[in-house]
Amino acid sequence: MKVAVLVKRVPDTASELRVADDGKSVVTAGLKFVMSPYDEHAVELAIQLKESHGADVVVLSAGPPDVREIIRSALAMGADSGILVDTGQAGELTCRGAARLLAAALKELGADIILAGKQAVDDDAAQVPERVAELLGIPHASVITRFELGGSAATIDREVEGGQYTLELPLPALFTTQKGINTPRYPTLPNIMKAKKKEIREIPAAQLGVAADDLLGQVVTESMTLPRQQRLCRVIEGDSPERVRELVRVLHAEEKVL
Amino acid sequence: MPDKLADLRTIKFLLHEVLQLEELLQYPYYEDHSRETLDMAADTAYQLAHEVFWPSYQDFDREGAAFDGQKVTVPKAMHGIWKQCAEGGWIGPNVSYDEGGQQFPITIHALACFLFNCGNTAAAMYLGLTYGAAHLIKTFGSQELQDLYMAKLFAGQYAGTMVLTEPDTGTSVGDMTTTATQSPDGGYYLLRGNKRFISGGDHDLTENIIHAVLARTEGAPAGIKGLSLFIVPKYRVNPDGSIGEPNDVTTTGIEHKMGLKGSATASLSFGEKGDCRAWLVGELNHGLRYMFELMNMARVFTGMQAVGVASAAYHCALDYARTRVQGRDITSKDPLEPQIAIIEHPDVRLMLLKQRAVVEGCLGLFLYCARVHDQERVVTDPEEQQRLHMLLETLTPCCKAYGSDAAFESIRLAIQCHGGSGYSEEYPVAQMLRDCKVFSIYEGANGIQALDLLGRKVPMKGGMAVQAIMAEIGKTVAEAKELAPIKDLAEKIENLQNEVIRATMHLGMKGLSGEVHLFVCNATAYLEMFSQLAISWQLLMQAVTAQKALDAGSDEVNFYRGKIETARCYAGYNVPHALATAQMLTADERTALDFKPEWF
Repeated sequence: MKVAVLVKRVPDTASELRVADDGKSVVTAGLKFVMSPYDEHAVELAIQLKESHGADVVVLSAGPPDVREIIRSALAMGADSGILVDTGQAGELTCRGAARLLAAALKELGADIILAGKQAVDDDAAQVPERVAELLGIPHASVITRFELGGSAATIDREVEGGQYTLELPLPALFTTQKGINTPRYPTLPNIMKAKKKEIREIPAAQLGVAADDLLGQVVTESMTLPRQQRLCRVIEGDSPERVRELVRVLHAEEKVL
Repeated sequence: MPDKLADLRTIKFLLHEVLQLEELLQYPYYEDHSRETLDMAADTAYQLAHEVFWPSYQDFDREGAAFDGQKVTVPKAMHGIWKQCAEGGWIGPNVSYDEGGQQFPITIHALACFLFNCGNTAAAMYLGLTYGAAHLIKTFGSQELQDLYMAKLFAGQYAGTMVLTEPDTGTSVGDMTTTATQSPDGGYYLLRGNKRFISGGDHDLTENIIHAVLARTEGAPAGIKGLSLFIVPKYRVNPDGSIGEPNDVTTTGIEHKMGLKGSATASLSFGEKGDCRAWLVGELNHGLRYMFELMNMARVFTGMQAVGVASAAYHCALDYARTRVQGRDITSKDPLEPQIAIIEHPDVRLMLLKQRAVVEGCLGLFLYCARVHDQERVVTDPEEQQRLHMLLETLTPCCKAYGSDAAFESIRLAIQCHGGSGYSEEYPVAQMLRDCKVFSIYEGANGIQALDLLGRKVPMKGGMAVQAIMAEIGKTVAEAKELAPIKDLAEKIENLQNEVIRATMHLGMKGLSGEVHLFVCNATAYLEMFSQLAISWQLLMQAVTAQKALDAGSDEVNFYRGKIETARCYAGYNVPHALATAQMLTADERTALDFKPEWF
């Protein structure tokens, strides 16, 4: 059984973002990049499938060569090998472009289960995995919080407004993971050393027959600004009874809504 | 709460740009490593510090370690932390493949230790102590001891301790009375005696605890030359590795401390029933030497522990000062003008800057020491090895004593930045101050560190150790003088260096002329002055690297300017102080000697 995991390299949400002088891009110098946190849940699920069902776990990402480092992180968590669809320094991929590249690479790979995070935390587009599934013509379920493998199908729970669906999908299929499905593991030092020896295959994007027009886009960034800081949020700390008392006091005495 | 407890970009700057850690990778011992493995380890340690250690920091203080008369329990969250670290290989990252480790540089191990202490210093102690015991067995223990204990300690199946202090013997280790008597068949020793202040001395984390105990055999010489080192398991271990009988080690209590409450500090009684079995490590009467072999790095780690807490406190203060809005600019006359964040007030900014300088200067020094240790491990030229060893030996008391004192002062400033909130236990900085206090006391009180520096390290090999450090400082100064924007800083530090050398020679003459009491009576002031020079030098090294990056056109202007100005701030406020100390030392200030106890 082969499990493919799609991962994306994004700026660490804990790092300080600055808008460049052009007013249209983010300053990347000194910025720390990480695997998008929802993708970590997908990698964890894949590794659990490796442990329970002996799956072969392949991690894929598309982008410039720097993306290797997050593929390596997934390998250090326990994935078996990686594929980098190398777009060189072509610039920011569109969702459509990324999906076409990944779908082309996946077609060649032939995975039984494809996993990805429910969205990337940089652009929050939540489009690439679903587009991949459509391009491959396989079923998909998004925002899953439980995954159970049974023969040639998988049963999942997915979050919907005000409730949850339980669905069974025939394989091959694609799933996107939501927080709560598992706790992603940290790389161990032995696994970091093992990851160094695992293969990351590079496929130049040009080899995948995706038209350049499809990769980069029709989208033009006009301007970019950081959200205005508003001091509206206040965290009330302490143990639960203490917190509740304080909350009631604030709502009553300060905000006067009670 | 702050979103970080340490600055990862600064860490990478120190590792790669200042210390050039990658140069180590050319040596066969590190050939499997790469920039990527080093970064992944550093990133993971950073993540663990924030996500595994930090969430329970305040719970550790509230819950504490507990003793019900029978057994000691650690704070609940400690079990998860231990499991995560043991499975992750974080007890001995620098240990060789053969011994179950991954041969990471000591610098990476030291960095992980720093980060874990940023997150939860009491929790990090259990790891450090276990590493210490395992390291002693690895370095000096027989094959049999190694086979029984080493792998299990490094893997976190067992935990370890260092057992020196007795109820009446703290600093004066040579006076300890715990005795070891050889068993009739000569296979082991029987231990009898009481020990106190044993960190991690008892707990419910692991199935066994392995104590490394200093004791005196019958007929051994008096003083420190009669101490031997023994391995004493809480439970005996059968030859097949299974756990056997309890080994007559009784916990008589745990301390109720000012801070570090999650760390179980036990009083232990060995051999109440006359059947506490102990196994000798190495040769008889060499115990203290073995312990010291380990202690050197342990002392650097203690400084790092302190500065880890100070780093967390600094980031709390920085976060608070950025978000806390209070008052207006001093020139503002309009009471209706919106208030400003307190970081806008120069006094608050200076307090933040002083904290930052201590944290980055000391972290720089610690990682420099670890890097020297790494270099010592791989070079083959004995002369170079000796030089590196001397550097390390001389800087060690500075790391421990200055690190812990400066960290305490730095956390005091962090509290000050918080105003009244800092005095409240609602914010973590009050706990940080309490946690930090002990670092100036244990692992050799700071007064002892000062005596070690001035009485032992300075005269070492005819002053060669100090010369070796001065030569290194000279190199950095010379490099900095070539860079116009920081030339003034380099000259300021060069001037201090000359004065420190002068004061050192003056004191040396006092020592040589037999005025021993005068020689050492200001040892603490000497250590502070020497350390201020060392930290100024480390920050100058960072400034040189930063200036070169800016000259090469880096667009991380804020980051690098921050480094240069931090160095300038530290020197600006500390060099005058150190110069005054040098003056005091050469003027033979001797009030402490002449003031008679009965005058109090």
